[in-house]
Amino acid sequence: MSDPQTRVPGASADQLEWHRVHPVTPLVRAWAAVLVLLFVLGNQALDSLSSLGEVAGQVVRLWWVAVLALLLFLLVVAGVSWLAWRMTTYAVDDTAAHLRKGILFRQQRHARLDRLQAVDVRQPLVARLFGLAELTLEVAGGADSAVRIGFLRLDDANALRADLLARAAGVKARRAAGTREPAQAEVRDQAAVREQVTSDQQSDAAGVPGAATGVVPDAEAPRDAVAAVAAPVPEPVLEAPENAVYEVPPGRLVASLLRLPVIWIILLAFVGLGVAVGVTRNFGLLGSVLPGLFGAGAYLFSRFAGEFGFRAAISPDGIRLRHGLLETRAQTIPPGRVQALSLTQGFWWRGKGWWRVKVNVAGYGVEGNSETQHVLLPVGPRDEALTALWLVLPDLRTDEVAPLLDEGLTGDARTDRWFTTSPRTARIFDPISWRRNGFAVAERVLLLRTGRLTRSLVVVPHERTQSLGVEQGPWQRRRGVASFAVHSTPGPVGPRVPHLASGVVAGLLDEQSVRARTARAHQPPERWMEQVTALPEVADGRDGTA
Amino acid sequence: MTSPAPEPRPGAGADAGAPASPAASSSDPFQPADVTWARVSPRLIPVRWILVAFWVGLPALVCAVLAVLLTVWLWIPAGVLAAALLWAVLLIPRQVRAIGYAERDDDLLIRKGILFRQLVVVPYGRMQFVDVSAGPLARRFGIATVQLHTAAASTDAEIPGLAPGEAERLRDRLTAHGEARLAGL
Repeated sequence: MSDPQTRVPGASADQLEWHRVHPVTPLVRAWAAVLVLLFVLGNQALDSLSSLGEVAGQVVRLWWVAVLALLLFLLVVAGVSWLAWRMTTYAVDDTAAHLRKGILFRQQRHARLDRLQAVDVRQPLVARLFGLAELTLEVAGGADSAVRIGFLRLDDANALRADLLARAAGVKARRAAGTREPAQAEVRDQAAVREQVTSDQQSDAAGVPGAATGVVPDAEAPRDAVAAVAAPVPEPVLEAPENAVYEVPPGRLVASLLRLPVIWIILLAFVGLGVAVGVTRNFGLLGSVLPGLFGAGAYLFSRFAGEFGFRAAISPDGIRLRHGLLETRAQTIPPGRVQALSLTQGFWWRGKGWWRVKVNVAGYGVEGNSETQHVLLPVGPRDEALTALWLVLPDLRTDEVAPLLDEGLTGDARTDRWFTTSPRTARIFDPISWRRNGFAVAERVLLLRTGRLTRSLVVVPHERTQSLGVEQGPWQRRRGVASFAVHSTPGPVGPRVPHLASGVVAGLLDEQSVRARTARAHQPPERWMEQVTALPEVADGRDGTA
Repeated sequence: MTSPAPEPRPGAGADAGAPASPAASSSDPFQPADVTWARVSPRLIPVRWILVAFWVGLPALVCAVLAVLLTVWLWIPAGVLAAALLWAVLLIPRQVRAIGYAERDDDLLIRKGILFRQLVVVPYGRMQFVDVSAGPLARRFGIATVQLHTAAASTDAEIPGLAPGEAERLRDRLTAHGEARLAGL
């Protein structure tokens, strides 16, 4: 069992170059366990100390035994973690990322890069202290399918991410197995192409009202990863330059959280609690309500900490999102990986005109650890929300579509020109928002609008439709309506419109499956840079809309 | 079919304020044009009967026995369960007959339900994998279940009660279709 490790680096059957993660990794992963262990042991030591206080001599002897046992235990733990570290190796080639781990049960995982859905660089609090980061490759393979490479030094993680994205984009795929210099030259060449693209998109961003606060004129500054490339990446890869698009100031984030209904529930609970305790003099009530309050507070704090310092940027490698107060996360979502998108406005955000933008990305959904992973814009005015939408779907940034989006965000049946809404017979099912519930079809996307108090607009690109569903209950049938749903990958966005007229649903079902099929036939390649260089007509089409 | 700018859709949204005509129900979303539904095997009926008898009938029996032995109050749950059992036994044949599927050129349609009806359209190119499963009871009655999985967890595309031969044929056809129309996510 112990001899595989001797031939791990570089000596495997193929010519993959295997790398190790940072040696501090076990400590960073297990710090909580170590703390708990120390705490428990300390507690028990104290207990035994106090209970055996009268036989002091024996205690001293036992104390040494305990210390010895602890040391032995720590030694075993350290040995096992050292072994685990030795056995964890990763490698990257042009088509896949490989990860090997496990001591007794060896696990080898190969993630195909053309199926790459997103790359996250995550820094938990403890890892930040060491300047380490974990790289997560999402490949949409169901539960726990992500490839986690960690921990690495932050610079190495960034360089590895740039390398992975370049390979996944197809920049390196056509490179011949030549000498080092031409390869380098081509990489730089491709980087130049990327810069070209970015400057195009930059002019896009500059045109967006209220956006483009920190636009870098000549894309010089963001090449931070170039100098810092170290051993893990054999050839330095230029990180695709990026342009900042929007950021969420902390003040706005706090204000937006204060406008959530949770706050009012908490306040009401406090007031009610105060009154109840004041009247009954029964302080036991406090204990009964506190867990709920803690839960609400924890939710608020997790949202604040998760969405703190939210910044979005666009690069040829996709959308870059950075956020987090304690644990920071830098997400990269390559082009065409967003399956569905929603813009929502809770009732209490309406006064400010704020919107929240969430996305479904395959691979994110199954993790379910944090809601923030799905957030494209935590809170922002309408302009920024539309900018976020355009980051995902640049085709929607035309003057023709603008009134359509307006209608989707705030319109209803009385002002509609494009949206098809519920018939009047559906009023009894949804007396408040029957005029809002509806859909509209644009060239590239399906727009689903629901909710009057909490407004919501869901945008699904035609080529991202997984399957379609219709449901109808007995009462709905008497009223001649049915509910329509587009099935998307797991995530916070559920594209669905209730209570549309049956005939409309029948038509939509037919047309939408045709549209989805046509759009899929024309969808851009998985390796997104190939369309820039190899398919000029696609690039032309994009320029035409911009 | 697609136009560069979204066109106003005549007649669909404009008259939403006006009362919808009953003519809207003339085109039923659950009965698309030129689709012939394939039915599932009637052997699914006894399988479901047995399952219902086990999960509802047995507790009803236990309640009845305990009601005789202990207290008359237990007749209430026994009665409720027996009524549910009767309802289910009467409903199951109709339910099974209501299950239908249709293979079109590019997608598979699955329809089920009488009171609460649902229809799923699964494009072949969207299938990630196909499950064929049969429990011990289903095997004894010679039926199997085919389930289609897409990348969306909410896709509920399950065809119960297929004869094993039909299930295999469907599986192979679906797989072949899926490969021919393979698309990414």
